[in-house]
Amino acid sequence: MGTIKVGRRQAKPTTPTHVRGLHQGNWGPRRRQPGHHEDGTADARRSTGIHWKRHNRVMDSMPSISPG
Amino acid sequence: MTATEDRTRAAERKPPQIVDMSWDPITRIIGNLGIYTKIDFANQEVVECHSTSSLFRGYSVFMKGKDPRDAGFITSRICGICGDNHTTCSNYAQQMAYGVKTPPLAEHIVNLGEAAEYMFDHTIFQDNLVFVDFCEAMVKATNPSVLARAERTPAPRGDIHGYRTIADIMRAFNPFEGEVYREALKVSRITREMFCLMEGRHVHPSTMYPAGVGTMPQPSTFTDYLSRLTRVIDFVKEAVALNDDVFDFFYEALPGYEEVGRRRILLGCWGAWQDPAVVDYRYENMNRWGKAMYVTPGIIVDGELVTNDLVDINLGLRVLLGSSYYEDWERQEPFVTHDPLGNPVDMRHPWNQTTVPVPQKRDFDGKYSWVMSPRWYHQPSDSHLALDTGGGPLARLWSTALSGLVDTPYIKATGHSVRISLPKSEKLPETTLEWHIPRWSNTIERDRARPYFVAYAAAMAYQFLEEAMQMMRAGETKVFQDFEVPDEAIGVGFHEAVRGVLSHHLVIKDRKIANYHPYPPTPWNASPRDSHGTPGPYEDAVQGQPVFEENGPDDFKGVDIMRTVRSFDPCLPCGVHMYLGKGKTLTTMHSPTYGASHG
Repeated sequence: MGTIKVGRRQAKPTTPTHVRGLHQGNWGPRRRQPGHHEDGTADARRSTGIHWKRHNRVMDSMPSISPG
Repeated sequence: MTATEDRTRAAERKPPQIVDMSWDPITRIIGNLGIYTKIDFANQEVVECHSTSSLFRGYSVFMKGKDPRDAGFITSRICGICGDNHTTCSNYAQQMAYGVKTPPLAEHIVNLGEAAEYMFDHTIFQDNLVFVDFCEAMVKATNPSVLARAERTPAPRGDIHGYRTIADIMRAFNPFEGEVYREALKVSRITREMFCLMEGRHVHPSTMYPAGVGTMPQPSTFTDYLSRLTRVIDFVKEAVALNDDVFDFFYEALPGYEEVGRRRILLGCWGAWQDPAVVDYRYENMNRWGKAMYVTPGIIVDGELVTNDLVDINLGLRVLLGSSYYEDWERQEPFVTHDPLGNPVDMRHPWNQTTVPVPQKRDFDGKYSWVMSPRWYHQPSDSHLALDTGGGPLARLWSTALSGLVDTPYIKATGHSVRISLPKSEKLPETTLEWHIPRWSNTIERDRARPYFVAYAAAMAYQFLEEAMQMMRAGETKVFQDFEVPDEAIGVGFHEAVRGVLSHHLVIKDRKIANYHPYPPTPWNASPRDSHGTPGPYEDAVQGQPVFEENGPDDFKGVDIMRTVRSFDPCLPCGVHMYLGKGKTLTTMHSPTYGASHG
């Protein structure tokens, strides 16, 4: 910090930025949140747990769009 | 000569009557800016100008050692009005460093959020802050003869906006009472809602991450945005007509007004809105995807396009000192010696910069500002150009028009103009607006470009919406791409903050930030004299400008100078200060919280 007079620092810049075991957010929420698929799409289970299969697309050829 | 030529008219000069005039801090802008001038009242012109800021932020200092994934959230706090521009730009830089490409729908969600931000911010700044300088109350106090003329002048575009005379428009600009002023507040609320639909929260987005977004793409997300967008289109069309009427009138009523705030045409634009079909965030392909952006990047010198290649733009960046309170970093170890294409990177490039603050007394003959002097090195003339952003819209429209690369259903760049088509709205029919490259880079043209860019953003939003809805209907709803943080990497993000160029320069070592430098528009615009003695754009534009105000030194308001400074949309980001009684420390924390025990 140049020639500025500063006190003893409280921060420890040598500490790691990440602690193992903590959720990092680099990967999508598929494992934790139901309704999210591997390919990044989602289905009705994302929005509701009640009769969710009935709110899904009726044919496989149709796109899976999140209700809303 | 990298600055504007001396405008002093040699003939008919009276003996100077110089008075020191200063405004510190300037109101109706963001942050802490002081303008110190010497005005010659005998010849009605500004002789000398210094711009200074007494605010030190230190983002580049405390970002070191942090997790790079946090950068977007931290740098968003740089600004209280365009924080999302920083998040977006930081994410662009991170995506380059991580080597990850955002899914197309996520790219459009970011584009839609940014379009709403441009519409919101330009509206609130123009109609609620800039127009106060052009309102009836202000003109009455500074140029009564102009107001008298405005009362007699019919508004040429009255059929669009509904005001009969220019003075009627000026009355509508009056703060707190005027119709335009109040309507703009309502519109800025709607545009902010549009923003929040896409980016979660204004102005520090909660759903924007590197490599994607957390916004859930569902039909209502886009229809809610569309219905709000359609509601503000009438206002946008009227705003363009209102602005044109008032600014044309100023040229007519005050001959020579084009000299106010005029500077040599030195404009920079770093481009906005990525095309998801082209962008891959690889440095090697930056030229290609930079040119595919929906606002074309470019550097314009004397009305000619010098380059629109983002690699050239990146390598030409130089951060000079000279009048700033910092120690030089020439003797430090460089972080990046060559870019991924093998080009050498200068020691004065932001990738290699080390911020060493040295607070000291303000001295206008020595060091006088916390703002550094970013410049762009122009090889053919071997000069460091003090580029300005023209308040943002002027450079964006100019660069897009000159490059002529943008050709979309709603926007066409013609090489000399930009054509903006807006669909039918509640009151007004389908309209095509055309912004022509102006003759000058001056106060009026900077202000005039702003409503045109609001129209530009609205038109682009229609396209993004159509494409996003098409993707959603096809079931391509992926909005996040998994990624890994590399041990070592470099990245750069180029974007347009609302008031102009924005770049974030990132160096990662050991999975931590080794160097991080955000370069927002105001360091370019508000920079002080650099080590070569070249004044910054505010100083350059104000210095030598004529004064049209009718008041003498005793009740001088400096409205012409204020119009010039505000035309750049100054934003010297404000720090947040907390007061906790008599200095009682509530809690001491260090980030990362969980890592503290690892010491």
